Amino acid sequence: MSEASEPPRSWMRRLAREPLLRFLLIGAVLFAGMTLAKSLQRPVVRIDAQELNQLAAYWEVQSQRPPTKTELAGIIQDRIDEELLAREALRLGLDKNDMIIRRRLAQKMSFATDDAADAGEPTEAELRAYYAKTADQYAAPARVAFQQAFFSGDRPHGGAEKAAAQALERAEESGREDPTGDPFLFPLSYDDVPLPDLLRDYGTEFVKLLQTAPIGAWQGPVLSPYGWHIVKVTARHQGSAASFDSVRPQVRDAYLNDRRKAKNAAYLRDLRARYRVVVAGVDK
Amino acid sequence: MRRQSKRKHARTFVGVLLAIGAGGAALAATTPASAPGAAPVPAKAAVAAKSSAHLPGYNPDRNAYFGDLHVHTGLSFDAYIFNVRATPDDAYAFAKGSTIGHASGFNIRRAGGPLDFTAVTDHSEYMGSMREANDPNRPLSKSPLVQGLFSTDPKAIRAAFDKVVSLSHAGQMPKEFSAPDVAGRAWTDVKEAAARNNDPGRFTTFVAYEYTSAPDGRNLHRNVIFRTAKVPTLPYTSTMSNNPEDLWRTMDAWRAKGIDVLAIPHNSNGSDGLMFEQTKRDGSPMDRAYAELRMRNEPLAEITQIKGTSEVHPSLSPNDEWSNFEIMERYIGSNHPVTKFHGSYVREALKDGILMQETKGFNPFKFGFIGSSDTHNAAPGSVEERNFFSKVGRSDGTPALRGSVPPNGAKEWPADTPDSAHATGPYQAWGASGLAGVWAEENSREAIFAALRRKETFATSGPRIRLRFFAGYDFPDDLAKHTNLVHEAYAKGVAMGSDLKPSAGKAPKFLIWGVRDPNSGYLQRAQIVKGWVENGKAREQVFDVACSDKLALNKTTWRCPDNGAGVNLATCEPDRFKGDVELRTLWTDPTFKPNQRAFYYLRVLENPSCRWSTWDALRNGTPPNPTLEKTIMERAWSSPIWYEPKA
Repeated sequence: MSEASEPPRSWMRRLAREPLLRFLLIGAVLFAGMTLAKSLQRPVVRIDAQELNQLAAYWEVQSQRPPTKTELAGIIQDRIDEELLAREALRLGLDKNDMIIRRRLAQKMSFATDDAADAGEPTEAELRAYYAKTADQYAAPARVAFQQAFFSGDRPHGGAEKAAAQALERAEESGREDPTGDPFLFPLSYDDVPLPDLLRDYGTEFVKLLQTAPIGAWQGPVLSPYGWHIVKVTARHQGSAASFDSVRPQVRDAYLNDRRKAKNAAYLRDLRARYRVVVAGVDK
Repeated sequence: MRRQSKRKHARTFVGVLLAIGAGGAALAATTPASAPGAAPVPAKAAVAAKSSAHLPGYNPDRNAYFGDLHVHTGLSFDAYIFNVRATPDDAYAFAKGSTIGHASGFNIRRAGGPLDFTAVTDHSEYMGSMREANDPNRPLSKSPLVQGLFSTDPKAIRAAFDKVVSLSHAGQMPKEFSAPDVAGRAWTDVKEAAARNNDPGRFTTFVAYEYTSAPDGRNLHRNVIFRTAKVPTLPYTSTMSNNPEDLWRTMDAWRAKGIDVLAIPHNSNGSDGLMFEQTKRDGSPMDRAYAELRMRNEPLAEITQIKGTSEVHPSLSPNDEWSNFEIMERYIGSNHPVTKFHGSYVREALKDGILMQETKGFNPFKFGFIGSSDTHNAAPGSVEERNFFSKVGRSDGTPALRGSVPPNGAKEWPADTPDSAHATGPYQAWGASGLAGVWAEENSREAIFAALRRKETFATSGPRIRLRFFAGYDFPDDLAKHTNLVHEAYAKGVAMGSDLKPSAGKAPKFLIWGVRDPNSGYLQRAQIVKGWVENGKAREQVFDVACSDKLALNKTTWRCPDNGAGVNLATCEPDRFKGDVELRTLWTDPTFKPNQRAFYYLRVLENPSCRWSTWDALRNGTPPNPTLEKTIMERAWSSPIWYEPKA
């Protein structure tokens, strides 16, 4: 407003001499020219020979005969229409915020990174080192042999525990005769059973006793979900590790899986570092 | 779903086992008599030496093993459409106790411990095609059918499933979905996963598949189980013929080439009377050759699974107060209502069978029982009421989708809540049911397959209820009190699944024994279901034979008094001190007539407990769906014993 008193001509001239305005004007002319040139050179939709053959082949798989000329023209027209619509959709940004397209792209990317993570056959040394770290996976579980007498939890008034204790006392006194209890649906004598099976079927207390009981002596009573038991362990077999050679294929599978997983995770970590991730309501 | 995800979980589980193993080893080392590698103590040496040819856990009187012989993975076209990407390896990992991912994004794991055996039974029709159709690097992904097939939206999933099923029924599925190279890659995966995960003595796998025939949508599905790794190049599918007789003839031909195999039909409840129709498939009369063909190939029926229980329908057995158990009255894969119950339920079929034996001299329905899940989540044994996520991936992966909590996040149920006959989806009527039990000497393919073959099997609605069932004429009266009763029963009688020889005037005695699952409820009653032929008609009666809580059995009505067991619906806690750990008795049939053909099977019921839908509601803090049963009585069924009066 303070310049309002100056003559309009001198104000215009000064503006025309302004280098920034000159620059902008030249830019505008250039831009208009390039846009014009671009509109003269239209984008191309090209269906090459390889794709044509592929289109015809799919058609043939479905119809069990080659397409006629008219049919081929129809197939090509459909393909062109699809391309035009897809390009227009891209130009208008219709691919943005589309869950299906996003998922598909993410899936293609993860396929690609998965393939990239397949970095060749591991060396013998790598496999042996990996086996050394994970040998416990291939171990056979410990096993036990034992006899038992069972006193059903259905006996009234806690009678099962008392009966089990008495049977144990008698067995300790006689030292020879095996005690008898109630019928039991599980074996009364196990020759060789893996401890994990017993853990599942009888529970932890029972397995703990089998792990600690001295060999050859009646022990208990111990409670299971079925009632009270007294047990005599006759043998224990420790769990054994499997040799590298016997499990080499499994070690290799596990190694490759682990490596692929690690590489994929690392790739995602790197990606994440290249972006700033903002989630509504979540403070950094 | 990539394979590496299961590795970590497998390791966690094995770690637990190893901890036990290591404990045992450390302690053993401190005990001179059992130094590592040393022979067992002398007292047991002879037995141990003799059993060294056997697997750990070998028992000549046989052990109960539990498993699932009906399991789908992402190789099944429908499971893949339901967003399931899990592999056969994932299914076996789940069966062994590991955690795997569910299609809806959460983790799943069995609460009740690992299974003993599992068969992955993917649909042979279009096997493996959907994973290829969804892989941009495979030609199948260019098929026009692929449009909209792989949505994550339950409505679009339903539409995609309907599209494929209707094309399939019309015989119009594009041929490339059944291309031998596509099926071949999937079948190789099935075989290799079974081989990788088979671990004699610890965990048994079977190579298997599902033959998915459904003429006019009426279900004739069966699972085809191979005894060993020797299997055909490709499965025989229902696209080749939807007539099961053609499947059985193919199985005969395989067997002639040394490929042993059996088939197990399922969901007769969705067959609308077709599964146990009394003619051949083309309507012509049955004959002895038909009955033998069928029984040679189908010794068992899957009588309970997630899509309902097919033992008995209330309209067929009005005098069975426990018949209304997880009844599902729709076609399989559509909402079409079932109207023909006769021919759809196994008790009626067993009755028809003995009547045919009596009048025509052959019995095409002389099958034993198993249960299995039919999970499409690659989750064998996922039939635990309090740990149930149903079975079709993203389609019923949330309580709202399966109708167990009010719609749209509401806190109350609308007054017009539809019952199971009118609900949009079938899921609320589905049950958390189906486990297979077998009696086998050891945990191996050979021993378990032999048990399936001789029908020494039982079915449960999910819990590991153990059932023993024997019949004989010479059992001592106090047999049930002998500690070696099973050994005696094998010696002097026959086990479940067998024939009882003609009587020399004496009535047969039945040894009945059920033991509870420690992870489930206590037992309430044991029952014998008897079917027999009298005056040219097949009849049935349910006898309670053992009561819990020392209650006295009424031998006029053959009913136990109510033990009064209930459930607190606010917590799902059952009443304490009700029910028994085990039910065991020796029962003589008071209605036995030596000339009357009959079958007997054992059914054992638990006290009532919360149904899965009630557990869902409880966790959601909303009332249970008013149209559904709030509690169920879990149960187990033995295979029948047949009394054959004429040799």
